[in-house]
Amino acid sequence: MARPHIEPYVELDHPFKKFGVSGFKGSSYKVLSLDTDTGACTLKVRFDGGFKRKPGLSYSDMEIFVLNGKIKVGKQTWTEGHYAFVPAGMAVGQIEVPQGAEALLMFNDSEPSWVESDKNHQLALTEAFSSVNSYEDRPWGGGSIVSPSVATGCLIKLLHYDPLTEALSFLYCMTPRFAQDNISYHDSAEESYHIWGTSWMMQFGELPTGGYFWRPPYINHGSFRCKYGTIAFGRTDSILFNYFHFNPWTNPDENKLRAAANLYRKRPQLYDWVASDGHNHPHGPPDFENPDYTSEPQVRMLHGEPVGGTVSRSKVGTGGKARKKK
Amino acid sequence: MAKRVQDVKPARSKETEAWFRENIAEQKQRYAAIVKEQDGLAAQREKWVEEFLQVIQTKGFNVTGDTRRVIKPSEIAKKPKGRHQVVF
Ligand SMILES: [Fe+2]
Repeated sequence: MARPHIEPYVELDHPFKKFGVSGFKGSSYKVLSLDTDTGACTLKVRFDGGFKRKPGLSYSDMEIFVLNGKIKVGKQTWTEGHYAFVPAGMAVGQIEVPQGAEALLMFNDSEPSWVESDKNHQLALTEAFSSVNSYEDRPWGGGSIVSPSVATGCLIKLLHYDPLTEALSFLYCMTPRFAQDNISYHDSAEESYHIWGTSWMMQFGELPTGGYFWRPPYINHGSFRCKYGTIAFGRTDSILFNYFHFNPWTNPDENKLRAAANLYRKRPQLYDWVASDGHNHPHGPPDFENPDYTSEPQVRMLHGEPVGGTVSRSKVGTGGKARKKK
Repeated sequence: MAKRVQDVKPARSKETEAWFRENIAEQKQRYAAIVKEQDGLAAQREKWVEEFLQVIQTKGFNVTGDTRRVIKPSEIAKKPKGRHQVVF
């Protein structure tokens, strides 16, 4: 069932657990959210002073955001605010944490994995690697990168962007006295961790420092308030479109229908084609530019298929099948 | 079909499988606690909703950015019967 709706969850109220999985021994963790099919997860990890790990790679795309402390990674030193996207199979250098550090660690395709290696896996898509100190090396930009947009006072620093799915990883802040009087939902899942500060939403109440949510698509959130300012790390798993409205009581099914109606109005021909019998592609229509996209972990996760195996051709939408109810 | 690193991931070790099972079970408990906590906010949430409905009929509703539109009383949805579910 993918990741459940975890909102709100204040991790500071809960203890760390010893991390007994190979490659992570000597650290402690808390699960913030976990995909119960694939093992994909977001963890808060505490590396004890003296933590060391040889060079190695993971079988999952991985993202890290350093909350505090210093982590030496090969020749680099990652400090507070450092963000990295490490594609599956890319070897990262030896890790050393002389005095302890805490980080958000995200495995996007499967459970935490690590094998010792000083070479990239031959299939690794290493060009996707990025590494930046989000606090020092990126400017704040207005939150209006999408339309309809958030109100003035919600600023963002874009850290990672997937050009195919438009999934985003970003740092955001809400200025003191930020207010936005609407209810929002998205086609994407949305995730956030409050590095510092408290904000408020009409459904869930206050989310303080250490507060976290993983919110599946089409779930109402907002209106929004932030009294004294908040800085947070956020992600979506696909395009972020703000469906604003003011009916406090709609459910995700109603919200999804409204989103579909919106699509119908904007792209009527495409909607008609997709919706008509014989044209439906439950596993995604063919894309001549990216013929293999249906084997991407994200698309497979969408259909509850195992990520650690190969999708058979018969499962890939090649046309001519009647619509299936999912 | 292009092969990916994810396709050649070895099967989960016993150690990892145990980690996975344990954390699925704990997440279930966390989820139940969240639902309970959020149900406990119901009375307070009703007041927040009332305030919201007042604000959008006076100061206005944020259509996009800082652009607001004052909502007419006739546009306000009727509250449905039953529990106002916010965690799904
Ligand atoms: Fe949102």
